Amino acid sequence: MGMQGDFLQLLKEQGYILGAPTAVGAGHALTNATTILAFKYRDGVLVAGDRRATAGNMVMYDRTDKVLEIDRYSVMAIAGVPATAYEMVRVLEHSFKYYRRTQLQELSFDGKLRAVSKLLKDNVPAALAGTGAVVPVFAGYDVDQGSAKIYFYDILGAEFEGVEYAVSGSGSPTIRGILHYLNTWGEQPLNTLPEEQAMVQALRLLTSAAEFDSATGGVNREASLYPVIKLITEAGVQTVQDATLKPLYESQVVRYV
Amino acid sequence: MYEEPYRWVEAVGNRRQYLDEQFKQGSPVVALTYDGGILLTTVSKGTPKLYEIYDRLALGGMGHPTDLEKLRFSLLEMAHVEGFNRSPSDVTGSRLVKYGIAPIIKQAFEEVYKAPFIVRILVAELGVKPEKDALLTINYDGTFEETIGCAVLAATPAAQTKMTAYLKEQTPATLSLEQALDLALRAWAIGSLAHQQEESDQRAEAEPPTSGAGSSAAAIPSADVLMAHVRGIVGARTIECAVLERQAPGTSKYRSLKQADLSRLLPKVLQSVVAN
Repeated sequence: MGMQGDFLQLLKEQGYILGAPTAVGAGHALTNATTILAFKYRDGVLVAGDRRATAGNMVMYDRTDKVLEIDRYSVMAIAGVPATAYEMVRVLEHSFKYYRRTQLQELSFDGKLRAVSKLLKDNVPAALAGTGAVVPVFAGYDVDQGSAKIYFYDILGAEFEGVEYAVSGSGSPTIRGILHYLNTWGEQPLNTLPEEQAMVQALRLLTSAAEFDSATGGVNREASLYPVIKLITEAGVQTVQDATLKPLYESQVVRYV
Repeated sequence: MYEEPYRWVEAVGNRRQYLDEQFKQGSPVVALTYDGGILLTTVSKGTPKLYEIYDRLALGGMGHPTDLEKLRFSLLEMAHVEGFNRSPSDVTGSRLVKYGIAPIIKQAFEEVYKAPFIVRILVAELGVKPEKDALLTINYDGTFEETIGCAVLAATPAAQTKMTAYLKEQTPATLSLEQALDLALRAWAIGSLAHQQEESDQRAEAEPPTSGAGSSAAAIPSADVLMAHVRGIVGARTIECAVLERQAPGTSKYRSLKQADLSRLLPKVLQSVVAN
């Protein structure tokens, strides 16, 4: 008998395979063209991502949602091959629900992290073949411990706890430095920022990433296109509305030189 | 020995007798639509009898806990695999019941050399719109029935009829959750009392007739009497309630009512009993 309440196992018994490697021409590397970030603020954790999806030089779509709600208390932000990433999110969503409904208790936060690692490990062949690499950031609120948590992963499934912040995607090197600077020498540490200030910082960070990374879409005011920002607190996941972001962006992010 | 058709029919008949006997100690289950969704209620001893199956599906059961668990797992597996491979909106109560567990229950019932499932099952499905709400009940022989508005599980068909009749008669056009809970508990009491009555009637039949017997067809007791009956029983048991709420945030609409919710929603006569 397998592990109790394991949805992935159930799928596998029915012949499901996640991330089967496919032959790909040598040197054909798919990049992680995007920017996602997560940092802790006063009330919990903020997760944000731009909305651009690219294929090589081409912009495929400018309204992608890369910050995906898995359950009431956890969010996965995805960088990498979207097809695989969305599939992983679907598996996780069903896995957590299946566990809760069969075992009559919530899967622990550590259990959820382990589930993400296992999926990434199953996906290694596809990641190495170049067709399915996913580098997610997993963030959530651990209700049992009453604290916000951020984890990031490499494509092989190794899990790292991002103590204060985590970034991923092609635009991330730019903002990683900014986050380090802000958190160390800024006016106040990130984890003491009130909600509104946290959102302003997220908008500024994504705008900076878009400045230096062509694969990151910043804010497009003409199309009223704002990044996806989610806040996870004791009360659960909350998606910030564009109507909230618009005035913040206009008053505190745009600079009129 | 069951190869002969007559023997088989006889064996199935014996099974019915055996199974009917098994539900004698069972607690009725009531499902009722209210203005915000569907309410499921029962009074249980130890093991829970109400469960979440999928985003919009809930389960209530009577019978043997292990059999109920087996079927609950079958439902969970079918629902989640379907929801993952197709989409959550393709997971419907009627498909799970008609093509899923009802045939399994029927087969177990008719294979007379194997053990049948000792269960009666109720599946409640919250529709996207109120008129799409559906309630399905399955008997131990695999027969199922789909109804709207209300559905019950009870120890005997007679008790079930009484409960349903009471619910149909008492239900106003719309019910708040509080009113629904009150009505559901009264219906539960009808089922529980009807069953007690049948038991004592059977005993009376066995003994020589005395005057005053045969009052089993008495009129439906008043609301106070029904509540007093519930009050007398819940001391040693727990009132179990679950709702499928149309307005609940997120995709999962099932919520099991906690102690705090119950002490707010229950009729006043029961609040003190539950608080202990």
